[in-house]
Amino acid sequence: MSTTTLPSEIRRAAPLGTHWRLRAYFLEAWFEFLKLLRLPGYALPTLLFPALFYSLFGLGLGRFSGGRFDAPTYLLASYGAFGVIGASLFGLGVSVAVERGQGWMALKRASPMPPGAYLAAKLAMSALFGVLIVLLLSTLAVTFGGVRLPVSGWLHLGVVLVLGALPFSAFGLAVGSLAGPNSATPLVNILYLPLGFASGLWFPIQMLPGPLRAAAPWLPPYHLGELALAAVGLERAGPAWAHVAALAGFTGLSLCAAVIGFRRDSDRTWG
Amino acid sequence: MSSTIRRIGFAGVALVSLALYVVGVRSAVTPGGSFTARQAAPVAPPANVTTAVTGVRVFDGERVVPEATVVFDESGILAVGTDVAVPAGTRTIDGRGKTLLPGLIDAHTHAFGDALARALVFGVTTELDMFTDARFAMDMRRAQEAGPVFDRADLRSAGTLVTAPGGHGTQFGVLIPTLSAPDDAEAFVDARVGEGSDYIKIVYDDAVSHGLRLPSIGRDTLEAVVRAARSRGRLAVVHVGTLGAARDAVDAGAHGLVHVFADQPPDADFVGRVASAGVFVIPTLTVVESATGIASGAGLAALAHVGPWLRPDEAGSLRRAFPVSPASKTSLDIARGAVAALEDGGVAILAGSDAPNPGTSHGVSLHRELQLLVHAGLSPLDALAAATSVPARVFSLGDRGRIAHGLRADLVLVEGDPTTDIGDSLRIVHVWKHGREVARPRQDEQPPSAAVDAGTGVVSTFDDAEPTAAFGHGWVVSTDTMRGGGSTATMRVVQGGAAGSRAALEVTGRIDDAHMFPWAGPMFSPGPTPMAAADLSRFTEIVFWTKGDGGTYRLLAFSPQLGMIPAETSFVATGEWVEHHVRFSTFGIDGRDLQALLFSAGKGQPEFRFLIDEVRFR
Repeated sequence: MSTTTLPSEIRRAAPLGTHWRLRAYFLEAWFEFLKLLRLPGYALPTLLFPALFYSLFGLGLGRFSGGRFDAPTYLLASYGAFGVIGASLFGLGVSVAVERGQGWMALKRASPMPPGAYLAAKLAMSALFGVLIVLLLSTLAVTFGGVRLPVSGWLHLGVVLVLGALPFSAFGLAVGSLAGPNSATPLVNILYLPLGFASGLWFPIQMLPGPLRAAAPWLPPYHLGELALAAVGLERAGPAWAHVAALAGFTGLSLCAAVIGFRRDSDRTWG
Repeated sequence: MSSTIRRIGFAGVALVSLALYVVGVRSAVTPGGSFTARQAAPVAPPANVTTAVTGVRVFDGERVVPEATVVFDESGILAVGTDVAVPAGTRTIDGRGKTLLPGLIDAHTHAFGDALARALVFGVTTELDMFTDARFAMDMRRAQEAGPVFDRADLRSAGTLVTAPGGHGTQFGVLIPTLSAPDDAEAFVDARVGEGSDYIKIVYDDAVSHGLRLPSIGRDTLEAVVRAARSRGRLAVVHVGTLGAARDAVDAGAHGLVHVFADQPPDADFVGRVASAGVFVIPTLTVVESATGIASGAGLAALAHVGPWLRPDEAGSLRRAFPVSPASKTSLDIARGAVAALEDGGVAILAGSDAPNPGTSHGVSLHRELQLLVHAGLSPLDALAAATSVPARVFSLGDRGRIAHGLRADLVLVEGDPTTDIGDSLRIVHVWKHGREVARPRQDEQPPSAAVDAGTGVVSTFDDAEPTAAFGHGWVVSTDTMRGGGSTATMRVVQGGAAGSRAALEVTGRIDDAHMFPWAGPMFSPGPTPMAAADLSRFTEIVFWTKGDGGTYRLLAFSPQLGMIPAETSFVATGEWVEHHVRFSTFGIDGRDLQALLFSAGKGQPEFRFLIDEVRFR
């Protein structure tokens, strides 16, 4: 099968009404949600990994820290970041790569669906799973970890983590556009766990060996972790704007990579 | 053409993104992102708020202004007066019925761990430490020099003290250099100055006043150290226990005495010499009281405006007292009389708690010292001055100890009037350090101790080849080697146990009598990790069997309720198996947070051997 790109004039010639456009966005998001919900291979690990790690390290080990280090609160922030990153990488990275391989992209482009809806649906799902992870971890933290934050603290954490889905969704898109459909899943796994670990999301960065500690700020998840820690009232290593700038830069780089991937893809076929 | 523009646009976006990323990462990497810096800072206090306390009684460090307004921020005290205009946007606190004090200065402590943070909770904003780990003091000093430290009291420290080999100060588990000859005094003091010691603390005490005998530096060495300190521009302060030692110290030219003698009352001639030489005295009546067997701080922990702010270990420490030797010559009455005589003679008296000794805790115990100074005859005003302006003057802390324009805003607001009723100094409403309000979290909602599945209460029958326990972290040998002692013990399971059982635990070893508090023996920790508090409150007593060489052994219990020092009872291990019952109440605990039990030999047992069997809780 050869891929055809529809000339843009055709789309411009037959504009959709606003109502239909919104409906297309909504339906695309709804089907994306149903798809993820019916894919236990996505939903379970995405939700369970952070919850499991948090229960083990944040709650299990927390009580032995002797009060010197507030593990339940610290790790609520860092595993929250970890979870949101996972949801974005798997949600966009893997699914875009797989759907590219299945020829979905070609089909979607041929359909009257607004091209933005495809991306918007995936972003919405990343954010939604981010919200679910934050809720799940927060429930664990409050119920079993005795974590108490002011209302503003919870809101701050929620906003940071949900917005934090954006840079990693962009990164997911880049991976999804560049990786082969079969290699995307292992690739995301290889990126996700070590990146989280080396960025200090599993344990406080100070517990890592020196060279890793020095390298951590060069890893994008580190910056989301720092912003999340600041949200729960724990001191961070640098000013907030620096972390935001790093994440913005990372988003831009990821989008550039994604554009390269999709341009290259338009000349290729997947069997 | 358009594709070229697109390509340039794309490259531009990529470059800008890369630049943003690198700038962000570089700016995020700031030096000093240490582990401690990341620790709990629950709610960051707002930066530099201007605060005004209006209509408040002010004790300015020396005298009382009945009603004034004090305005301050992080830069210091901005205004003090009766008709001070409060600038707009100022946080205003109604001070009517309250008293504003300068941040308190505790002139005799031993700080380590989080002691300085805990001191701040009770209004102590500066501690004059009289011996701690020199590295700890160096860290604290470095932080203070780098900028205002808001979350703990400031530290001035003697660092390593000057004492004889095996003398007082060597028993605390910190390995320290000691001084044996006057010829080494100069080099020794140089080393202290090199470590950053703010002043030189000298132990000149053979502990006879406490009914003990310890090595002490000689009189010639004392004189040499004082000379060396003076020539290097450092204050020389001397720890003494007797009037005789105090005489020697004053004669040697010491600047101050950091305890009051408690064995003999001073005569008028001696008081006159202390006064004319300008020697100051930090009586530490709190620890003198504790040394006479009275738990000096017990009453504090029971106060509704104090107890909830104490941690269990702090409350436990306040409820303890030193064990008193029958040969002790320490008398609280004599100590009080000496303070009164010195005060009358015009000697500068400074308030110091000697925390964290038994009966004391950082911060709160300085208030106990103020009460004891008032009992000894000082007016409440003089007692408050002894904790503010006097130590500031004596130790050249020109920026604090008083409430005046331009000084640091280290302040304590209390309910009531401590200038007439000293007990009100503990009715703390607010504490500010460097103008920033100090968080005073309540401590009475602590998480409970680890629940322990102790089954029927049986700990060990010692019928296996190894000394195993049915629960908890189990048995380990504990000795004074961790505190620099030389005692040893070994434990092994041997055939033939109590009441016809298969086997028992045999403990053999040697006690190093040179150590001040020697110990050696098996220790059982009921919690999951050593010294983790475990809840055994459903039991009331410890039951065990012993047999041995006829010696008297000690059973020690560790619990936060006891503070840092264990409670103990003794048992005799006779030639026959005997069952012992020791109630938790014997130790003054309820089993709610038992950390460990230690079966130990003690002083006077160079060689020992005993057996334990069938250990259980009931």
